[in-house]
Amino acid sequence: MRWLTIVGNTLRSLFQRRRAEAELEDEFQDHLEREIESNIRAGMPPAEARLAALRLIGPIAFHQEACRDWRGTAYLETCARDLRYAVHMLRRTPLLTAAAVLTLALGVGANTTVFTFVDNVLLRPIPVRDPQQLAFLSWSARSVTISYPNYTDLRDRNRVFSNLIAYRYIPVSMSVQARENYRIWGNEASGNYFETLGVRPFLGRFFGPAEDDKPDGHPVLVISHRLWRNRFAADPNVVGRRVKINGYPFTVIGVAPPGFGGTELIVSADYWAPMSMEPRIEPGNDWPHSRYASNIWAMGRLRPGVTRAQAEADLNRIARQLAETYPDVLDRKSRFHLSPPGLIGEALRGPITGFGVVLMGIGGLVLLLACVNLAGMVTARAADRRREIGIRLALGASKGRLLRQLMTESLLLAAMGGLAGFAIAFGACKLFSSWRVNIDLPLETSLRPDALVLGFTAAAAVATTLLFGLMPALQAIRTDLIPSLKNAPGSRFRRWGVRDLIVTGQIALSVILVICSVLAVRSLQHALALNLGFEPAGAVSASFDLWLQGYDKGHSRTFDAALLAKASALPGIQAAGIIDNFPLRIGEDNSIVSRVDRPIPPPSERHGAIVYRISPGYLRAAGTKLVLGRDLDSRDREGAPAVAIVNQAFTELLFAKENPVGKYFRITIRPSDPGIEIVGVAETGKYESLGEDPKPAVFLPIEQTGTEGMTLVARTSLPPQQAVEMLRKTILDLDPELTLYSVGGLKDQLSFPLFPARAAAIVLGVFGFLAMVLAATGLFALMAYAVARRTREIGIRMALGARPGRVLSSVLKRTLVLCAVGVSLGALVTLAAGRLLAGVLYGVSPRDPVTYATAILLMSLVALLACWSPAARAIRIDPARTLREE
Amino acid sequence: MGKPTDLVQGTLDLLILKTISLEPMNGWAIAKRIVQVSGSVLQVQQGSLYPALHRLEHQGWIMAEWRDSENRRRAKFYSLTAAGRKRLQSELDNWHRLSNAIGLVIEAV
Repeated sequence: MRWLTIVGNTLRSLFQRRRAEAELEDEFQDHLEREIESNIRAGMPPAEARLAALRLIGPIAFHQEACRDWRGTAYLETCARDLRYAVHMLRRTPLLTAAAVLTLALGVGANTTVFTFVDNVLLRPIPVRDPQQLAFLSWSARSVTISYPNYTDLRDRNRVFSNLIAYRYIPVSMSVQARENYRIWGNEASGNYFETLGVRPFLGRFFGPAEDDKPDGHPVLVISHRLWRNRFAADPNVVGRRVKINGYPFTVIGVAPPGFGGTELIVSADYWAPMSMEPRIEPGNDWPHSRYASNIWAMGRLRPGVTRAQAEADLNRIARQLAETYPDVLDRKSRFHLSPPGLIGEALRGPITGFGVVLMGIGGLVLLLACVNLAGMVTARAADRRREIGIRLALGASKGRLLRQLMTESLLLAAMGGLAGFAIAFGACKLFSSWRVNIDLPLETSLRPDALVLGFTAAAAVATTLLFGLMPALQAIRTDLIPSLKNAPGSRFRRWGVRDLIVTGQIALSVILVICSVLAVRSLQHALALNLGFEPAGAVSASFDLWLQGYDKGHSRTFDAALLAKASALPGIQAAGIIDNFPLRIGEDNSIVSRVDRPIPPPSERHGAIVYRISPGYLRAAGTKLVLGRDLDSRDREGAPAVAIVNQAFTELLFAKENPVGKYFRITIRPSDPGIEIVGVAETGKYESLGEDPKPAVFLPIEQTGTEGMTLVARTSLPPQQAVEMLRKTILDLDPELTLYSVGGLKDQLSFPLFPARAAAIVLGVFGFLAMVLAATGLFALMAYAVARRTREIGIRMALGARPGRVLSSVLKRTLVLCAVGVSLGALVTLAAGRLLAGVLYGVSPRDPVTYATAILLMSLVALLACWSPAARAIRIDPARTLREE
Repeated sequence: MGKPTDLVQGTLDLLILKTISLEPMNGWAIAKRIVQVSGSVLQVQQGSLYPALHRLEHQGWIMAEWRDSENRRRAKFYSLTAAGRKRLQSELDNWHRLSNAIGLVIEAV
């Protein structure tokens, strides 16, 4: 228990310092008095008695100091003193300090933001029991969906999973009160979903396998905590309430725990219903019985001790059996791949990891730049204090003590910068979380910094301090005493060699980042001007789902006809049409296509095409150009011969150079299929992403096929907002219960496909700007210091008759050489590494000369600006005054 | 004044502990007592006694309290703690072992 006493003593002396001081004084005083008394009693005269006592006790102040050392607070007190001193020193140069804190804050803030993203998306496990045991199933060829019959076979035949779940993200129309519909996204899930994930209900209960046993058997619903709060006003009696899903009554049986939104990190589910309720969730759809319709995602919990490789081997054994039984469905070469849960298999993990790594890399570089600048600042400051440090060393200050003091200053800077950086990161995350993409998908964009992030920030700040503080501090205390006391310039030339290199590197790095960001911005401009296969300007759209409202085929046909007639007649609307799923959103319908005059190819040689269903007038409304043949029209009704319009890529795929109009193709793999006649050819557009290669696509008449979701597109000369309101009113006049989504101008709705390009442009732009600012300040500091150091020399030169021009060139020459070297180095590196950028660039070559010219010009301008004021100061030097000063 | 005999490193602690093991004492009395009992052989520079006292106090071997002394003047009195008493015993044992050993070496023929 002795250590308790020690801690108590330490605390007491820390908090009762004044009392301890008084007592120390009293103790020595008491001792002296006793000694004096004793001497007097021994017969000494008082004056002599006092002297003798003083002699015997020795140097009082020294002993008292030694006593203080034993209070155990010496360390803390020194720290406090260093801190006070550091604050004092930093306040003496407020501008420099502010610049340093800002530099650090930007560097640390940028990195913390990036790390928060990485932490949230890549490091944080999904909120279920033992997530590391879960494995997401996908086919090796990037296809993540499997069919329901295949799923049940896998579930029943495998020996490696304790459980295998199936789920599907699908929107429904939910009605809590009469005449009020919401479109919400959620999961249809197999009965073993919740028990496999090991999630506990917040309220009520979850459904189990018993409620997933027969089609349409158990209309039960689990809702998310978020939905419960937003749509049910956090009603504690929500369990047992009846709601309508697509017009069919379901009973709410439970609420999921807060923070649980399904198994995918970036899309969140708001409801869960048993998969057997599929007939009510997607009325009229029959995919659960088809091996061709790959519509579900599957995830298994590995049995203890089973590795991913073993599990894959077992799954592939089943895949081979299936391929033998169903040769027209599965290729023998199909292989399963297992990946960690959370990011839809590898489909998102790859790009996101790549993005994260690039971000962390750039962020790290920027932080390094910040460190370099700070190191420069600290070095300059230490150099200004050579005299002070010299004096203190001469007076016997230990080097360790001085080092500690200098490091305290750096640490203080780091702490302030780190705090400000965390605040910046927090703000950036808030901003990102509040950002909503105009897309019909429950994208999870919230970024939450947590303890790990805070730890990262602290680590970054401390590492930064060590980087920028330690070297200059070590250098400062290595000072030679004599020249530093004379304040004479030491042999500093060699030392600046390193700094020259660093500034060159800084410039090179910022050139790289600036080129990248200019490329990204130009690519964004190009993307906006890219041929999308439709003309976004002057067009508006609104989407709705008739089948969610229980419309059957005949009903929706009547509705379509009425809507089109009304919409086309609206004033200011030039054309109106309907498409089942507008390009560049999600959920493209892919089908295998083949020529009718050839046999159906084996699975490995089949080609897919994206299938759209459109009404007459759609192509005109969307602005898709017809290249050959005719548009769909009123002839193409149900019962009439099946016809289609295909795009140019489709023509090339199946018909090469032949004229496809009048030819037939199949979108099934039934050899008996009579096929569909091609009546027209449209231009090829972008369907899944802006960066894709030309993809074959087919447009079928909606009249002949029926449809699920619908998007009404209208071309108009009116302002988009006005046109949208007219359309909204027209649709709701026809059916006030419809839920509209993705409503607005087509241009605004491109934000989702443009997201990768935009993200790259924003991130590179921010980092590029940061790097440029850092390089400029670094250059400025270097120049300012060089001029200050050479003040005397320049003074003498001017006194001897040097012209300002000569002085200017002598000051600028070296820096300009550095700039030129840095800029060309950066440009060369970017040229060499540009290939890496090609993935996010649209329509711009990574070697675009205009970009390079812009970036180089920009950087040179910034460099000149940074050099300007120090150079101007050099030629304004007054020789007389400089010489007198020395 | 004769040059005071330098104390063997670490023995000051032992002397202090032993001295105050009899009764609580103030610093001055401790110094006087050490000089007196050692027959003036061991001279402590009085001031250097205090850092040792403060160290021992901080380490919890001894404790101090302010109380009135004979002429009603307040003085700081040091006394052994329970831990200090044990410490004194082990220091004494050490010392005996050491001095025996030294004795053996220097008296060997």
